[in-house]
Amino acid sequence: MNQTDKPIANPIVVLREEFDDWAILFNPDTADAVGTNPVGVAAWKLMDGNRSIEDIVSEIKNNFEDAPAGVLNEIVAFVNKLDENGFVGLELERKAKNA
Amino acid sequence: MRTPRSLILEITARCNLRCRYCYFFNNPAVEYRDLPANEWLAFFDELGTLGVMRVTLAGGEPFIREDLSLLIESIVKNRMRFSFLSNGTLIGDEIAAFLAGTGRCEYVQVSVDGSCAEVHDSCRGQGSFDGAIRGLRTLQRHGISVAVRVTVHRNNVHDLENIAHFLLDELGLPDFGINAAGYMGTCCVNANDLLLNLEERKEAMATLLRLAAKYPQRISSQAGPLTDAHMWRRMEEARAQNAPAFDNGGRLTACGCPSNKITVRSDGTIVPCNMLAHVELGRINRDSLAEIWQNSPALNQLRNRHSIPLTGFKFCAGCSYIPYCTGNCPGLAYTLTGEVDHPSPDACLRRFIEEGGTIT
Repeated sequence: MNQTDKPIANPIVVLREEFDDWAILFNPDTADAVGTNPVGVAAWKLMDGNRSIEDIVSEIKNNFEDAPAGVLNEIVAFVNKLDENGFVGLELERKAKNA
Repeated sequence: MRTPRSLILEITARCNLRCRYCYFFNNPAVEYRDLPANEWLAFFDELGTLGVMRVTLAGGEPFIREDLSLLIESIVKNRMRFSFLSNGTLIGDEIAAFLAGTGRCEYVQVSVDGSCAEVHDSCRGQGSFDGAIRGLRTLQRHGISVAVRVTVHRNNVHDLENIAHFLLDELGLPDFGINAAGYMGTCCVNANDLLLNLEERKEAMATLLRLAAKYPQRISSQAGPLTDAHMWRRMEEARAQNAPAFDNGGRLTACGCPSNKITVRSDGTIVPCNMLAHVELGRINRDSLAEIWQNSPALNQLRNRHSIPLTGFKFCAGCSYIPYCTGNCPGLAYTLTGEVDHPSPDACLRRFIEEGGTIT
């Protein structure tokens, strides 16, 4: 995956935002769950298939005053984890590029 | 949690069996009626909006609903997984294939109380053993995970060895769960015939400890004789060594259910737990579940139960086990004492020993 990939959230995945600033992404088809923080939630909500990872990082930097310096790597790692668990789609994007 | 992650939904008040120790029936606080499907469908939409992850369908007997597949389709549409608490007797190929096809069925819990029809049917009625095993095998054939629950009572306490052999060796189940008939619902009427006396309780504990060693990790329990045996042994060891109090000891810390899940009765009344069916919190499709979950005074009172010290109860006065005791199930505390905020006498180690019980 690279920064120009445009991840799209799997619409079957449930986002549960909890009180204490963390959230769960739950895939009811597989019962897999991934915990995440507010930055991850913001990134998740931007994964619409139109924004690249670069775009998402840029928007998060604009919206989170205290975004850490390593936010790019953090989000790339997060998207990779979601990709591995089937929470986001990337394969079609890659195939389209490779075609 | 902003909203519950899971719910127990008693989707019907009907059952084809009349088990003699059933906790569900014979509760004067409960209105035994079924909601039409459209009420459940509207509620499932609300659960989907709230991000609920799992529902457990119970009853009554949930497979008795003729419109069950309609309800399941709505649960799936609303991005939830589901499981069942069932007697197994109404499960045929058609519904099993349907459940398997959704890919969302976590398990079906089937009650099996004996190694043979004679024992199982003594409390559940003639033909119920054959029906349960037929249903269980149907589920297995369709690749659906089966969770068997054994409820210990006077009629099967001498059959526990055979039950374990039957379930684990003959049927090849990976494991099963065990609890005991408790003083609730229909069981209150039949308590003298069914609840374990002291000698039977001692026998059940000893047998289950032996079976748990024989079948490691394959017999589980959250209540009943096996849990008591493990818990009371820990408590006795701690008391003998004058050990520091357990983290959850000395207060009414059992159980955590009101913080993790919530229950809906078959008439649509929202209650904290199916063991506390008289504590009415609201009604589905009239009251907001999120509002109840976050702000219900009755629910929050239950959640704060853990701050009530056991030293304040006359029942516990002078007890040397207090630092290691959690007070146990609030549901049983209520049916036995009339108070939710009270330790359950059923789980009292001191009383057990005073009556002649021993810890092995």
